Amino acid sequence: MIAQVLFSGLALGSIYGLVALGFAVVFKATEVFNFAQGMLAVCGAYFAVTAISVLQLPFPLAVVFMIVASALLGVAIHMLLIQPLAGRSMLAVIMVTIALSIVLRAVIEIIFGPQGRTLTTSLPNGVFQIGELRISQLHLAAAVVSWLCMAVFGAFFRFTSVGLLMRATADGHEAAVVSGINVNTMNRLAWAIGSVLAAIGGLFLGQLQIVSTELETIGLLALPAVVIGGMQSIPGAVIGGLLVGLIEQLSATYISPKSSDIVIYALLLLILMVRPWGLFGQRELGRV
Amino acid sequence: MSSILQPHLAASTPLRTVPVWRWLGGLLLVAVLCYLPVVLTDRAIFGMRLSNMQLLNLGMSQINLMLIAMLGALSLNYLTGCAGLFSIGHAAFYATGAMTAAITGTQWGWPFSLVLLAAAAAGSLVGVLAGLPSLRVRGLYFVLSTLAVHQVVVYAFLEYQFRFFDLVGVPYNPATLGPVELNTPMRWYFFLLPVVALVYWGLRNSLRTREGRVMMAMRDHELAATAVGADVRILRLKAFALSSAIAAMAGALHAYFMSNVTSEAFGIDFAIQFIAMIIIGGLGSLAGSLMGAALWLLLPSIISGFASQAGDTTGLVHLLLVEHKAQLVQLIFGLLIILLLIFAPGGMAGIGQRIRELYFARRNS
Repeated sequence: MIAQVLFSGLALGSIYGLVALGFAVVFKATEVFNFAQGMLAVCGAYFAVTAISVLQLPFPLAVVFMIVASALLGVAIHMLLIQPLAGRSMLAVIMVTIALSIVLRAVIEIIFGPQGRTLTTSLPNGVFQIGELRISQLHLAAAVVSWLCMAVFGAFFRFTSVGLLMRATADGHEAAVVSGINVNTMNRLAWAIGSVLAAIGGLFLGQLQIVSTELETIGLLALPAVVIGGMQSIPGAVIGGLLVGLIEQLSATYISPKSSDIVIYALLLLILMVRPWGLFGQRELGRV
Repeated sequence: MSSILQPHLAASTPLRTVPVWRWLGGLLLVAVLCYLPVVLTDRAIFGMRLSNMQLLNLGMSQINLMLIAMLGALSLNYLTGCAGLFSIGHAAFYATGAMTAAITGTQWGWPFSLVLLAAAAAGSLVGVLAGLPSLRVRGLYFVLSTLAVHQVVVYAFLEYQFRFFDLVGVPYNPATLGPVELNTPMRWYFFLLPVVALVYWGLRNSLRTREGRVMMAMRDHELAATAVGADVRILRLKAFALSSAIAAMAGALHAYFMSNVTSEAFGIDFAIQFIAMIIIGGLGSLAGSLMGAALWLLLPSIISGFASQAGDTTGLVHLLLVEHKAQLVQLIFGLLIILLLIFAPGGMAGIGQRIRELYFARRNS
């Protein structure tokens, strides 16, 4: 029983970690606290629905379509909404991302209707058994792909020159501009990466459940994940996502199904009171 | 040189004179507000019949809901626009008010007026608790703590609802004020209108006191406010207490007006709509929050009016207006917020201010 719960918690947590990683990349680069991250995951799921059900593309091509479309969406969001608000208050930027998620939800529901869609992909769907433990292949695939994506992007930031430029930009905009980095391009790239990571998470969430705009609430669990892990820390986002997935499954099983949200947010409140910079973040020094 | 030091005004002139046209305008406004429910109930103005579209498809219940929402928007704008504390969990205080009303009104049978007071008291208590993280964390972290508080309060409401009532929701007694039962929309209107006016006037005046001005200084520059001797910690908690007391009262009113609420009514969307109202109306402008609440509550019913007109059209208009009315409303609001944030950060109040400045600049030149 406990092993079963732990497994599904870790598998779901890997997806949250993936969405949260996308969030953290955007936050580190542009300091935008993106409330639309859950909606970007939903958009990814609907891009997949479009490619598979409407355009009838084979699965690998559909994934490519989804990645390109969500990358373009991320770039468009940065150009149209975030750049014009440069230098404005945190409130304005947060509100624009909330408004964006309202608009995206409305557009999706107008195009696809408010009822959910099923997503049929050629991802493995069966279950295999190890002793007592029933392992759903889809959960396993979700976890494996999530870890693969995290590893790829971790390596990208660590070892490639573009990754280095992006880290430099996130560290200090002015210094990056002085060194001749095109900061806007880097930020757009960050938004594209954030959006693609959310979309991959959305693909799996939509496959595990049904594709509808209700997935947004699941995608939004990335927010507490990021804060618990530490907003300035990329590994923190991943570990925060895993923690949130584990807590959700454990409390749903052992306390009550309705209690999972409250336990996560209570932990968030506790972290904010005791260690606001998160488990792995760097302590922000007070400004004078 | 001495002319610089000479006062421009004679000592006897008051600093601020209210011109006659403002008095007349105020009287006219009161008259219009008192006549409006009559027009909407009779569907006629001075005996002249008006069609549904000429009345913009508005009914009294939307107007009453708008008045209640105005209280919520005013309290949030006071907290966010004037004290600079961004709360994304304002629905929590509404839920607190509704829950207090259920305990004291439905379960203990207290009279309506006492229930409202109890809701305000409970609201300010929860508000102070919700404001406690503001002593320790700033900015983004504080926003998140209000989100977490919201989840906790809504969960408490959910548990309460299922323990004492059931899935259908919490029922409320009919509201009575002394001998008068608020059983018609008209009576609700004439009860809510003075309440909104009183809250508006009270908040407006409180911003002109020393403490109100220090609070705005705290919003603009916390360190500078501290340097002139303001205790920003206490001030923050006070702002929270006042704002959440008003919001909780609005929540109790909302519950009594709807006569039945469920915990789902106070979700995150409910909180976001108040943020949207004050962004549309203008942050920091109390009059703007009234305008934002009016637009937010009345536009959907105006659009459904158009939808019933466009019954037999086809194509995109039909698709948008008839089949996806709710989504169209959301789309319009979302785009409106984005456009206002990018092009007119002051909201409707800011646009009004700019027009006034242009007018005076032209008249003076």
